[in-house]
Amino acid sequence: MIFHRLLLVITLIAALPFPALFGAEEEEAAKSAPAGESHHGDDHKEKHHGLPKTAPVLYHGIGGDAETGKIGPLAITNSMVVMFVVAVGIIVVAQLATRNAQLIPAGLQNFVEWLVESLYGFFEDVLGTHMVKKTFWFFATIFIFILFSNWFGLLPGLGTIGWAEPGHHNEHISNPLLRGVNADLNMTLAMAAIFMVLWLFWSLQAVGPGGFLGHLFDVKGHGSGFFGVFLVVVFICVGVIEIVSIGVRPVALTFRLYGNVFAGENMLESVMMMGGPYFGWLAVLPFYLLEVLVGLVQALVFALLTSVFTALMCEHHGEEHSQ
Amino acid sequence: MTGSIQVGLAALGSAIGVGLVGAKAAEATGRNPGAAGPIRTQAIIFAALAEGIVFIALFLGN
Repeated sequence: MIFHRLLLVITLIAALPFPALFGAEEEEAAKSAPAGESHHGDDHKEKHHGLPKTAPVLYHGIGGDAETGKIGPLAITNSMVVMFVVAVGIIVVAQLATRNAQLIPAGLQNFVEWLVESLYGFFEDVLGTHMVKKTFWFFATIFIFILFSNWFGLLPGLGTIGWAEPGHHNEHISNPLLRGVNADLNMTLAMAAIFMVLWLFWSLQAVGPGGFLGHLFDVKGHGSGFFGVFLVVVFICVGVIEIVSIGVRPVALTFRLYGNVFAGENMLESVMMMGGPYFGWLAVLPFYLLEVLVGLVQALVFALLTSVFTALMCEHHGEEHSQ
Repeated sequence: MTGSIQVGLAALGSAIGVGLVGAKAAEATGRNPGAAGPIRTQAIIFAALAEGIVFIALFLGN
């Protein structure tokens, strides 16, 4: 049952960043600059500038045109290719592990059960026994997907296999075939947006519209008289601040994950350059291990923060139930 | 070489913040090793919140 929900969410996530919003903007900007001059002018800068901020578009979609940079529907960027590969990989592993489920698990089934059970215990501590049953599928999927896409993005070959600009040598690949999934702002934004919608849904379901507003503004039970009125005004101001802080959450979630992965890829590239042609691999090795750790920590942070946000809004309900 | 002062200052502040969180988390784990799990969870949350500032400064500041 849980795995069916995992599959559902993975397909949802996979389908979301299709518009490739940020890719389109850069294409427009590149188009408006005079084409011939910019290429020659950027030659010297380009050698060290590392990963481009937006994912290059591989296939411009139905009705799109690579020459003019027009983006049609169903355009595909190189980070989306990696995302599909990771999503399909997770689905295949989940299917293989549960196809022939044994009472005493062994091998792959054992590993997958260990992963899911550890995550369940972890989120149960944060969310409580009532909420975790309802929301576990989302947080576990987010964690597993971010973790494995981060680690997949560290495999050798990503960012180094692709097409060079015509007229350049192969030292700079301008259109890599593959790119780390979370080094694309569209992906992290999509995940944060899905979470905020689900968060609103779960919060309204748990505490109701009145409880939701009451949680934000906390207007009940402040006594009477002048002091009571004063407190009501104060708590309305606090509620406005609370709303702003809730609005910042998806932005912070988006940029935290994107910034970490993107900065990591750039750091690896520039450290590799520092090592020179022969010792680049040695210089980059400690930072590579650091990036493996960062990939795990960022997956944990995203899943943990989203679950804590959910718990903050829904925990009152659980307490009332138990009393 | 180019740079922006607000990103540098944000990075400085959030680095100090993450360092304080880590130091206190290690100290708390030393005082009560039994509570290592919840302390780790809280430390990760607060380190992430302190760290988020630098990304907001980096991407929205310019």
